[in-house]
Amino acid sequence: MSIWNYVVTAHKPTNVTHSCVGNFTSPQELNLIIAKCTRIEIHLLTPLGLQPMLDVPIYGRIATLELFRPHGEVQDFLFIATERYKFCVLQWDTESSELITRAMGDVSDRIGRPTDNGQIGIIDPDCRLIGLHLYDGLFKVIPFDNKGQLKEAFNIRLEELQVLDIKFLYGCSKPTIVVLYQDNKDARHVKTYEVALKDKDFVEGPWSQNNLDNGAGLLIPVPMPLGGVIIIGEETIVYCSASVFKAIPTKPSITRAYGRVDADGSRYLLSDHAGLLHLLVITHERERVTGLKIELLGETSIASTISYLDNAFVYVGSSYGDSQLIKLNLQPDAKGSYVEVLERYVNLGPIVDFCVVDLERQGQGQVVTCSGAYKDGSLRIVRNGIGINEQASVELQGIKGMWSLRSSTDDPYDTFLVVSFISETRILAMNTDDELEETEIEGFYSQAQTLFCHDAVHNQLVQITANSVRLVSSTSRELLHEWTAPSGFSVNVATANATQVLLATGGGHLVYLEIGDGTLTQVKYTQLEYEISCLDINPIGENPNHSQLAAVGMWTDISVRIYSLPGLDLVTKEHLGGEIIPRSVLLCAFEGVSYLLCALGDGHLFNFLLNLNTGELTDRKKVSLGTQPITLRTFSSKSTTHVFAASDRPTVIYSSNKKLLYSNVNLKEVSHMCPFNSAAFPDSLAIAKEGELTIGTIDDIQKLHIRSIPLGEHARRICHQEQTRTFGICSMKYSQSSSEESEMHFVRLLDDQTFEFISMYPLDTYECGCSILSCSFADDSNVYYCVGTAYVIPDENEPSKGRILVFIVEDGKLQLIAEKETKGAVYSLNSFNGKLLAAINQKIQLYKWMLRDDGSRELQSECGHHGHILALFVQSRGDFIVVGDLMKSISLLIYKHEEGAIEERARDYNANWMSTVEILDDDIYLGAENNFNLFTVRKNSEGTTDEERGRLEVVGEFHLGEFINRFRHGSLVMRLPDSDVGQIPTVIFGTVNGVIGVIASLPHEQYVFLEKLQSNLVKVIKGVGGLSHEQWRSFYNEKRTADAKNFLDGDLIESFLDLTRGRMDEISKSMGVSVEELCKRVEELTRLH
Amino acid sequence: MERASAPQPSDLSSMTGSGGGGASKYLANLPSRGLFSSTVISSNPGGIRVYICEHETSPPEEQLIETNQTNILIRSLTLKKQKSDSSSKDVKGKATTESTKGKRAAERAIDGRTSAKRMHVTSSSGNPQQEGTSTRTIGKDFQGLTVERLRALLKERGLSVKGKKDELIARLKSSRVDGELPVRVTEEFLDA
Repeated sequence: MSIWNYVVTAHKPTNVTHSCVGNFTSPQELNLIIAKCTRIEIHLLTPLGLQPMLDVPIYGRIATLELFRPHGEVQDFLFIATERYKFCVLQWDTESSELITRAMGDVSDRIGRPTDNGQIGIIDPDCRLIGLHLYDGLFKVIPFDNKGQLKEAFNIRLEELQVLDIKFLYGCSKPTIVVLYQDNKDARHVKTYEVALKDKDFVEGPWSQNNLDNGAGLLIPVPMPLGGVIIIGEETIVYCSASVFKAIPTKPSITRAYGRVDADGSRYLLSDHAGLLHLLVITHERERVTGLKIELLGETSIASTISYLDNAFVYVGSSYGDSQLIKLNLQPDAKGSYVEVLERYVNLGPIVDFCVVDLERQGQGQVVTCSGAYKDGSLRIVRNGIGINEQASVELQGIKGMWSLRSSTDDPYDTFLVVSFISETRILAMNTDDELEETEIEGFYSQAQTLFCHDAVHNQLVQITANSVRLVSSTSRELLHEWTAPSGFSVNVATANATQVLLATGGGHLVYLEIGDGTLTQVKYTQLEYEISCLDINPIGENPNHSQLAAVGMWTDISVRIYSLPGLDLVTKEHLGGEIIPRSVLLCAFEGVSYLLCALGDGHLFNFLLNLNTGELTDRKKVSLGTQPITLRTFSSKSTTHVFAASDRPTVIYSSNKKLLYSNVNLKEVSHMCPFNSAAFPDSLAIAKEGELTIGTIDDIQKLHIRSIPLGEHARRICHQEQTRTFGICSMKYSQSSSEESEMHFVRLLDDQTFEFISMYPLDTYECGCSILSCSFADDSNVYYCVGTAYVIPDENEPSKGRILVFIVEDGKLQLIAEKETKGAVYSLNSFNGKLLAAINQKIQLYKWMLRDDGSRELQSECGHHGHILALFVQSRGDFIVVGDLMKSISLLIYKHEEGAIEERARDYNANWMSTVEILDDDIYLGAENNFNLFTVRKNSEGTTDEERGRLEVVGEFHLGEFINRFRHGSLVMRLPDSDVGQIPTVIFGTVNGVIGVIASLPHEQYVFLEKLQSNLVKVIKGVGGLSHEQWRSFYNEKRTADAKNFLDGDLIESFLDLTRGRMDEISKSMGVSVEELCKRVEELTRLH
Repeated sequence: MERASAPQPSDLSSMTGSGGGGASKYLANLPSRGLFSSTVISSNPGGIRVYICEHETSPPEEQLIETNQTNILIRSLTLKKQKSDSSSKDVKGKATTESTKGKRAAERAIDGRTSAKRMHVTSSSGNPQQEGTSTRTIGKDFQGLTVERLRALLKERGLSVKGKKDELIARLKSSRVDGELPVRVTEEFLDA
């Protein structure tokens, strides 16, 4: 049963909705604060650029974000209002680096119609009050007292019902708002009101202006000494104050965002719907405004917010494309643009559609999204894990170990690659043509397997074989000295660094050697009680060539131990438990924190915090990386050290914010890895896998990798066709020719490797693609692309005509095979028992694929089912059809073979406006609706009456706070059949804000456990600004609010791993489960995404 | 509606060319505080730290803000009552200042007064003593208005606008006693 679901974010929202600049974190520091719907990001402005500081989750969808400075304060406070009518005022406590709640409250009213044009939240420039416009006809005032404290809020009746914008005017003795509104004749006007705090009422303001531009939509209040307001229209820009009125015409455009450049308000940046950035200048003589000037600067992403940072740098936040950091140049470039884009911040939103594919056929899903809108439309390939960019490879079977060596101690690059086999050792080197070529190091013994190799001080190399340790000059390549194992003993495991060698022979004998100039000296020998399974002396202390500690893994007692060097005295012994021996140990340091990693033969990994002085091991944690023995090795990428865990599921272990993170590498199975930083292949890795040696570089170390394919048009539907290795998309291109703005719609075919357009089919005028499907039909072996369209005629309320087009891909071309006209928009297409199931306006229609006498094919209608408002989303499973209706929630239909008819079996009688549906299993269906909620319904097959059976019972409810456009079955991660999480079915979703999330259906036992953990976490992790988690996750629409049920907030649960140890202990105590166990279970969950 | 297109990027050069000098002169002296001075623009390979809030986040008790639930009409009436209770001089002063603010302001002032009156009417049953004060206040008020304004008020009430100032005031006062006004006021509130 898939009742118990776990919802977690794999990719956080990236749609930037608000931004502001101010002294938030300290009076001296300037910050950029960005709102990404349910998160805010705090950045610091430095001489070197933007420095990210903090990513703050907010329990609400941010409706307004403002920085302000109350009287008597030295730094700015942050005002946040959420769409569910909560607000809070945050202050940064510099000492503790915490966000303090200065005030919060609920600003909802019991009655009132929510505004159509979004919520408005503004703060008086003289900090006398906060104004909120949340409901039509009401203006809410939260006054400040003279100490900067907030007082009880009150509503004022606002005569204007269709408000477009409200701003506070600068320099008014009484707080004064300017209101831009539309009257019932659709004319637009502005009006000013003074807020009389004592009377709690408006007083007519100093001026008003009637009959503005019909497209006026944005107000910009101008600071003193100029004062007044700029009104941005679609064809004019007007400056207005009590005494001055200036207007200039502009090219028709819809301005979406503005940013003030100068503190005195004489220059502004404006961005329009086409992403063109303009500079608006108020020319003035002293304090008298003489005119307006507008200049085109260049093109950016379509902006939702603009913040001028400093020194000509500007942050452009976007909802439709990537956000950008731009620089305004004094002189135009060759194309006449003054805008230089310096950095792009990836934004996946809005994800309109996506598909899950396995392009590399590695058993790991990748998500290909239709992202962005208008000119910023793109495809994004989102993949979990780290990619290796292969640069060279050779076929080599049976590699047992690999090490890279330098030709001299000072050489920054590696020259030799020592590859060890079962009974020989071969040496590869880069030749002058930058090719890898077999060579020889005379001093090395090549007739045996090498156990370990390392560069040593004084231009020397060390090779350890079963019988001896050889010290070789790296310049002359001759043997300088040799230590031979006593007769009857052979070396089993060995390790070395630049000055030390530690080896173990059978019987638990441990030998410690030191490397001198041309000499190997046996310093210490000891015998342990059991056989030694692995060793490490990687220097992580102050001396990069010498280690004070040795890590030793043992057979029999299954322990890992720390010995001091050179004395070989036991410092710490840690029993690992279980019966699996440690196969690889590694001492390493990340971000200045020392760790001991210990990998077992069954793919588990322990990590401990290591105290370098005392050798003490603390904070034991266990994670499962794979199922086969792991070999650990350090490597560097971008001058940071990481650890590579080679196994059946290769993983990179790295640290971020002093927390160890595990990111899987997109390779199937890696037996050995060593860094190979040669001049020709800098920062590369040599990787041994499946009879092959590969040299490659590694992608940036992060969890999700996103590749962008800009399309220049808006992709709206996508699907993949495995057989032809192509993607089919429905897209829309806005063309702005000299006289008219028009949109054209296409069906396009893309290669699934290069993502190039290979074929295109233009749709008719007014016709747009609504659905696309790759499928095959009964009695026909071909695979087809089926496209459902609608004719969107401007005068029609609802499309009355559409088409189903059936294409075949031949020689990389889309060939139209059949078409069928429909009586409405084809919102959804599904493959159904070798037939085609279409949702056409209010009807569900089933088509057969018929062979005509002349051998051609056609779609022939078989049966249908009426009774929906608009059947927008359809999923099928067997003979069952699940329909998501525009406003009638989910219904379940069944296809009856004998009668050849579709009948309704059951429905959910709630009025939910659906945004997508998916079938979780035979009985449980998942839906998302337009109030940002998720819910599940259950088919009631055991009901005793028809009435009971005809009702879909709501079993789970959850407020996600994201508008989901699509669910797809699939997974972003490699699924190992025998791992714990491998059995958990998952659904991926994509949202308007660019979130990719995962819904995992958990076994009941695990759900109960995690639910308990969640309720404990809520007590420890508080909502920023005093916002409540319980309220945030409660199902919420206009009609009702209900506590979340049968859904867990994975983002909250996984933040357990970020807690301080003390808090973890607290939770562990109240749960009665060890911290180690809790960490392990939560870390397993993080592997779902 | 025909709508000319926004310029394409390729139009940029031609646009700025025709502009003569283009935006350069307006882009001079962009504000700078010494930030972003180096050419190095740092990106964030390690990602941004996620804030985990382990401390208590409830606001100070008195800063848990709620909305005054009093009905706007009742609130405004109560406020007017308080005001009319306070010294009459204040009211007069206010009336004169407002009278300088044009017609709408005056109307509003009168609306305010009329609602005060209505309040007075409703409360008069409970407290007959108040009537005197209130009437006096209003009488004085009218004295403070110009003839023009008084005529406007009369017109609004559909009364004759002829006569001397004192006559006008008398007519206005009598209209109040008729009880016609309070009804009008309520209607106004209902409309809003």
